[in-house]
Amino acid sequence: MKMNTDRFSLTVDEYLAETNVLFYLNDAVTQLLEHKEEYTQFGVVRYFAEYFTSVKNGNHVLFREFSYIKATPHNRESFIHIFWKCFRQIGKNGDLLAMSEYSSLLQLLCPDFPTEMVQNTARIVLIDDATDCLSFSDFIYSFQIQFYYEEFVESVSVIYQDLLSGKNPNTVIVPTSTSVEQLSGAANEEPDVQEGVDSSIFCECIEGLCERFKHKFPSIVAIKEILESSQRVSFYSFLMTLAKHEGVNQDISALPNKSDLLIDPEMDQELERLIAQVAISPTSNNSSSSAAGQKETSKKASPRKSLHQRKRIEMESDGSTEETDSSEN
Amino acid sequence: MAEKRRAGVAMSGSCELDGAFACESGVSALLGSSLFTLLESRPRDPVGFLAEHFAHLSAQDDDAGPEHQAVSRALWNLSLAHHSQRSAFNSNTRTAFDLLTRDRGAGVVGVRGRLYTEMLRCLCSEGGLSGSTAAPLLRRVQCHDHESVPFELFRQGVLTCAVFSDYIRASQCLYGSVASASDRPAERALGQAVLETLREALETADGDDVGRYLEASAKISPGEVAKAMAEAHPGNQRENPVMDAQEFEDAAAALFIARVRMVT
Repeated sequence: MKMNTDRFSLTVDEYLAETNVLFYLNDAVTQLLEHKEEYTQFGVVRYFAEYFTSVKNGNHVLFREFSYIKATPHNRESFIHIFWKCFRQIGKNGDLLAMSEYSSLLQLLCPDFPTEMVQNTARIVLIDDATDCLSFSDFIYSFQIQFYYEEFVESVSVIYQDLLSGKNPNTVIVPTSTSVEQLSGAANEEPDVQEGVDSSIFCECIEGLCERFKHKFPSIVAIKEILESSQRVSFYSFLMTLAKHEGVNQDISALPNKSDLLIDPEMDQELERLIAQVAISPTSNNSSSSAAGQKETSKKASPRKSLHQRKRIEMESDGSTEETDSSEN
Repeated sequence: MAEKRRAGVAMSGSCELDGAFACESGVSALLGSSLFTLLESRPRDPVGFLAEHFAHLSAQDDDAGPEHQAVSRALWNLSLAHHSQRSAFNSNTRTAFDLLTRDRGAGVVGVRGRLYTEMLRCLCSEGGLSGSTAAPLLRRVQCHDHESVPFELFRQGVLTCAVFSDYIRASQCLYGSVASASDRPAERALGQAVLETLREALETADGDDVGRYLEASAKISPGEVAKAMAEAHPGNQRENPVMDAQEFEDAAAALFIARVRMVT
């Protein structure tokens, strides 16, 4: 939550608006009023200290409603980070999950997380192949773009559709032989990779958008870099490249680079310890699964797994739930 | 917008009850004063600020080691704004001063010398200075334990330590550019030429402040430093041809400390 402008030259209202302080104070008071007795016993000052510490550390979004998670850039960043922390073991295991399964995972952390967001993410990733399942890293970087820059993605989509339908006269050069297909493609909002729009015009339009845009958007430098690398570009290939762009990922700073995405030595040690325990007493692993979340995860993954793999998954999801718990405190 | 609606529901549903609760439990007063404190110092990271602010307040309720707490809270206040944001920094210094004098009886003005010295030491180490670098400066600005430090002296001591930390960082950067590679020490002749330029820049003539700032920055401009380095003769010191980072830092620190008036 760093401030870009000189904070001492802002008016009080501007300073407060820029930092979302009033939003958090408002939420803290609302929570306090909802649980008056509990928190009054705990100590009101201590309650506020805990609340703001959790906002600072980013674990305040855990199990909160979607409208809260979405409300500020910091909340979005924190949610992406928590999702990664909780479920990266899935990626490590190399499992490909269906979109409905990713949706379930998201809903473990945020019960009313809309499936629409996951469907939009799927559109970004599934452009190349028709399979339903996705690797964890493909999913999470695309999800990040869709979720963190939601308003930006929507506005760019409108621009793209306008360009495709020829509202800007110099944009679409339609080869006659494929014109019918192209029209239908545009109507379905799923244009083919080969088609798309002229990159430089697309880029100009996006730049124009960013100048007056109130929400977060990726850095202009990154957008230019992506759009200057090819003459024509389709909407989803643009989003896909954005999702894979390391600079954009660093700006959001919720996730590590792709090479470090699945590295988690602490959890590996814990897993090895658990596996060693299981090897000694084979019954112990049944007793350790209790939380609803891990049951769901293992249940979903289980039909495709051999018995040995199933055991491993149960233990892994056990581990990640533990981590969730600890970050909540 | 959703949050406003939600808050709106909570407010309209049992508005009077909640309002009464907020007054009785002291929540209104607490939030009002916290918001005021926040706007007074305008920290870069307001959420982190509020987290620490409330943590300090709740620790005060526990009442463990009040003196140590006062020092750490004073230090925290001082860290909120860089000294180049001078009016914010002065205001934070005043807050720190008030915190450290709060428990003193009526009629006594100023911070206990012991607290003041301890705070300056912490300030230097938070500024990234090693104990050996900070020690000569602290000897000049510190007070006796039994003395009482008035505000103006307090402000000068704090400011001196803050500027000194920045100065040392800058001189480390300067050494970095004199040494051509990070793993090789700088040539002694070059190091001395740069230190000499630095000394001249610090020795500005008497006059108004603006004039002295301009004179000093002209003397230490990149062009002047480059000229001095070009004129240095590497052949002069045969026996000890290099100067390491610590030696350079010490020499630069000495130039600064010589200009700090001794507290009497």
